[in-house]
Amino acid sequence: MLLGVDVGGTHTDAVVIGDGGVLAFAKVVTRHDHLLSSVHEAIEKVIENISPEEISRVNLSTTLTTNAIIENKIEDVCVIVSAGPGIDPGYYTMGKHFYNVDGEIDHRGSEIVLIDVKEVERVVKKSHKDGVRVFAAVTKFCTRNPLHENIIKDRIADQADFVTMGHLLSGQLNFPRRIATAYFNSAVWRLYNDFADAIKSSIESHGITGDIHVLKADGGTIPMEYSRKTPVESILSGPAASVMGIVGLCNISGDSIILDIGGTSTDIAVFADGAPLVEREGIELNANPTLVRALKTSSIGIGGDSAIHLQDNRISVGPSRLGPAMADGGSIPTLIDALNYTGHSSYGDIDKSRAGIESMQAKSSMDAKTIARSAIDYSVTMIYNEVQRIVESINQRPVYTIHELLSGKKVEPGHLYIMGGPANAMESLLSEKFNMQTEVPEHFRVANAIGAALARTTVEIELFADTEHCKLVIPNINVMKKISIDYTLDRAKQDAIEMLRDHLHTIGINEDENDVEILDSSSFNMVRGFETTGQNIRVRCQVKPGVMHRYRDILKQC
Amino acid sequence: MLKAKNKLGIVFFPAFDWAISPTHPEREERLLYTQDQLNEEGIFDIDGIVEYKPDVATVEDIDRTHFCFPDVDHVTTESHLISAGGAIKSAKLVLDGEMDRSFALVRPPGHHAMKVVHGARGFCNINIEAVMIEYIREHYNVKKIAVVDTDCHHGDGTQDIYWHDPDVLYISMHQDGRTLYPGSGFMQETGGPNALGKTINIPLPPTTGDEGFNYVIDNVVMPILKDFNADIVINSAGQDNHYSDPITNMNFSAQGYARLNDHLNPDIAVLEGGYSIKGALPYINLGIVLAMAGVDYSYVREPDYKYKDLKQDPRITKYLKKMSEQVLRIYFKDSKDDTGKLMPGNYDVRKKEIYYDTDGIRESQIESIMVCEDCRGVLKIETMSSVNPLCLGVEIPINACERCISEGYRILNDGIEKERFTHVQLIDRVKKKYQRY
Ligand SMILES: [Zn+2]
Ligand SMILES: [Zn+2]
Repeated sequence: MLLGVDVGGTHTDAVVIGDGGVLAFAKVVTRHDHLLSSVHEAIEKVIENISPEEISRVNLSTTLTTNAIIENKIEDVCVIVSAGPGIDPGYYTMGKHFYNVDGEIDHRGSEIVLIDVKEVERVVKKSHKDGVRVFAAVTKFCTRNPLHENIIKDRIADQADFVTMGHLLSGQLNFPRRIATAYFNSAVWRLYNDFADAIKSSIESHGITGDIHVLKADGGTIPMEYSRKTPVESILSGPAASVMGIVGLCNISGDSIILDIGGTSTDIAVFADGAPLVEREGIELNANPTLVRALKTSSIGIGGDSAIHLQDNRISVGPSRLGPAMADGGSIPTLIDALNYTGHSSYGDIDKSRAGIESMQAKSSMDAKTIARSAIDYSVTMIYNEVQRIVESINQRPVYTIHELLSGKKVEPGHLYIMGGPANAMESLLSEKFNMQTEVPEHFRVANAIGAALARTTVEIELFADTEHCKLVIPNINVMKKISIDYTLDRAKQDAIEMLRDHLHTIGINEDENDVEILDSSSFNMVRGFETTGQNIRVRCQVKPGVMHRYRDILKQC
Repeated sequence: MLKAKNKLGIVFFPAFDWAISPTHPEREERLLYTQDQLNEEGIFDIDGIVEYKPDVATVEDIDRTHFCFPDVDHVTTESHLISAGGAIKSAKLVLDGEMDRSFALVRPPGHHAMKVVHGARGFCNINIEAVMIEYIREHYNVKKIAVVDTDCHHGDGTQDIYWHDPDVLYISMHQDGRTLYPGSGFMQETGGPNALGKTINIPLPPTTGDEGFNYVIDNVVMPILKDFNADIVINSAGQDNHYSDPITNMNFSAQGYARLNDHLNPDIAVLEGGYSIKGALPYINLGIVLAMAGVDYSYVREPDYKYKDLKQDPRITKYLKKMSEQVLRIYFKDSKDDTGKLMPGNYDVRKKEIYYDTDGIRESQIESIMVCEDCRGVLKIETMSSVNPLCLGVEIPINACERCISEGYRILNDGIEKERFTHVQLIDRVKKKYQRY
C-alpha cells in the first residue's frame, strides 16, 4: 500500500492506495506554524482502519521549503562564486555574504585561471567569524569541470555544517540560476533536515516502516534520506501533485490540457503524447529563476471564489478574492454564485447566490441572468485564452536543427481534464468553448494526495564528453571519468542510461520499472584548422515523470 | 535581477545538422560554444531579452531579391531559407514593435551573394540581409535603410545588390582587399550612376585593432549615418575581424565588438562570418547581445585576451586618420559631382567576371542600368556561367517611373521573343510580380 500526503495552502490531504484502489482518505486544516502536526494528524486519520505495516511507501509533498523561502525565514549562507569573463556576477548577488573570487573555467571545461585559494580561505574565515555555518560554492561552467567547486569545498572543510556545490544540483548550463538554486539549497538545509528527522519519527510512531519519499515540482519523487543534501528540490511541488493525480486517475493519451480550478486560481498543465511537459529551464521562486525541474504549469487568477466586478456596465471576474462565495456565507458574489444562478451548479446556499447576483442589477443596465452569464463567459474565455497562449508558446519554442524546425512535432491538445471545486459545474461550458472532449475524474477532490502517493522517482542527467580532452562528466550524479579518443555517441548513450540506473540503485530505488529515456543527444565534430580533433558529445537522459506502474490501472475510470 | 534597457529579440538558429562539409569553417559546431556561453550566462533570463525561432523564407522572398538561375530550388537548400527566414523574423520583431532591437544569430551567412546567383561564393548562396531588406520594403512603410557591414571581408554581394539603390546606404569596413578575399571594396567603389555615394568602402590595414575600429565608427560611419538619416540601421555583424580568427589578420576584440555595437546602436544585427568558434564567437556574441540590450558588458573578454599584444601600431592610427578624411570627402563632396554621368534615358553598362570560390563556378555578366532622374532605373542583367547558358534578368524597381516600367517590359518581351536566353526572370516590384519564362 502507498500513503500519499499533500500539504497544501489550506488543507493537508492524505490517501492510502492499495490493490483495491483508494482505500482511505483524510483532510485536515494545514497549520502553517506547525506543518509537522498537520502531517501527523492527517496520517493518523487516514490510517484509522489500515494496518500501518502494510504501507510500503510514504510520499510526501510539503510547502515547508517554499514557505520558508517566500517568507524569508531562512538561514544566512556564504556564497562563494568564481566567474571568469562574462556578465559581472555582482548582478546575481544572493544574501549578505556573497563573494566573487578569481578563477576561470571555459565552456569546454578547460581551466584558464587557477582558483584563488588564498582568497577563498580568507572569505571562509571571515564568514565563519560572522557566524555563517552553511555555504554554497558555484563556479561558471562547473558542469563541464567541477574542479574549482571541489577545491572551494575542501578549503571550507569543517568550518561549515553544509556546503552546496553547484554542479551537484543540475547538469544544465545557467550560472545565475545555479547561484540562486545553490543559495536556496543551503538556506533551507538545516530547516529541512530538522523537519525530515521529525517527519521520520512521526511516521515511525504510527507504526509505518515503509520508505519515505518527497515529491518534487517535476512530478517525481526523491528518497527523503537522499533529499537531505538537495532540499531545494522539494520546492513548489503542490501543482505537480495534482497533475500526477490526474495521471493516476485517467488514461491520458495524446496531447491534453489539465485544468485545476481552485478557489482563487486555475492551474493549467499540458500533456504531450500522454506525458506531462517539463519546463525547459526550471521553476522560478521569489522572482529568482532556479534550476529546479518542474512541470510546465501556468496559473491564472480565476477560481470559484474570484469576485465578480462590475465596472462601466462591464463584467469581469478575479483576480482578487474578497471572501468566500455568497453561497458559503460571503458578502460579494463570486463565480460560484454565478454558476448557482444559471443552474450549472447547486452548491451551498443557492438563495444567497441568487440574491447576490440580483443585487448587482441595481448598478447596471443588465438583468441578473445576463450578469451571471457574462461572469461565466468572462471566466471561461480567460481560461481559454491562457491555454491558447501556453500551447502557442510551447509550439514556438526555439529548436536548433533544420530537421526539428521543418518537421518537429506540434502540441495539439484534443482532450481536456478538469478538476477542482467548480469542475463539474463548468465542464459543459469549457467543453463548448474549447471544442474538446472533457472529463472530470471521480476522485478529483483528493487528486493531489493521489498524485503524491503514486508518483515515482525522477532523475535527469546530462552527460558531456570531449574526446579531444579524453574526459566525460555527468555533474549532478558526480561522475567524472577518462574516455578514449574513439569514444562515440552510441557509447555515450549506453553509458548515460547505465549510469543513471546505477545512480538509482545507489539511492535505493530498485524497482526495475523506472523507464529511462534519452531526451536528446548530439555529437559535434571538433575541428582545428582543417583537421578533426575530436568529438564533443552531449546526452540528456531522464526517468520521466509518471506513476508507479503497479498501481496505474487500479484507479483508471475515465 | 538584470533588466535590458532595450528589449532585444534574439533569433538563434545554429543549424546543428548542416555543414558545407565536415571540416569546413561553416560547419555544425560553429555556434555550439556561443550557445553554451549564452546559456551559461543566463542571457534569456534577463528581463527584456527573448529568444525566438526563425521563420522560413519563401521562394517569393528570394525571387523578390535575387536573379537565381536556373531557379531558387537549384541554388539554395533549406538551411539558406531558414537563415534568411531568421533575418526576416528579426526584422518583423522590430518593425511590429514587439522588440526594440533584434539580433539574427543564424547561419549560413549571406553577404558575398550577389544580385545574380548561380551557386555559392564565400560560403554564401543567398544574401540574407538583402532578402530581409526587400521583405521589409515590401511589407512595411520603410524607405531608407542603412547597412553597416563590419565583417572582415568586403561584403561584395551586398554592395552588388545595392550598387544602384539610392535608398540603401551600404557602408563596409573590412580588411584591405589587397590582402584578403574577395579582393574588392576600395574607396573608389561608391555606387552606380543613380546611387553615387550610397556605397561607402572603408578598407582597413591588417592588424587594425579596437582603437582603429572604434575611431572609424565614431568619426566616419556615425557622421555619414547621421547625414543619410536612415529609418532602419542594420549591422552585418561578421566576427572574423577577431584577433584569433583563422582566416583573417585583424586585431579586433570582444570588447571592441561590444563597444562598436554600443556606439553604432543598430536596430537589427545579422551574423555574418566569424570562424574562431571557440576562442572568439562565444565572447563576441555575448558582447554584442549585452551591448544591444543596453546591459553592462564591461566584464566581457576572451580568456586569452592581452591588451599589450593587441595595442595598435601608431602608424596604423595615423593611416586611419588620413583615410577617414578621404572617405568623408568621398561621401560629402565627391559623390555629389556628376561630371561624366550619362544623360537620363541611356543605359550605363558594366561588364563583370565573377568567380564562385565555394562552388568553383565562373560567371560573365553584362549589367545595364537605365540612368533615370525619376526612379532607381530599370535593371537588365545578361549572364552566363559554367553551370548555366545565357540567362536574362530584368528588374523594375520599387516606385519605378512609367518610362522604366514600359522599358522593363520591352526588354523582357524582346528577350523572350529572341529566344537567346535559356532562363529569363522578371522582378517587377511595382506590380509585385516575380516570374520566370
Ligand atoms: Zn567574412
Ligand atoms: Zn525611371
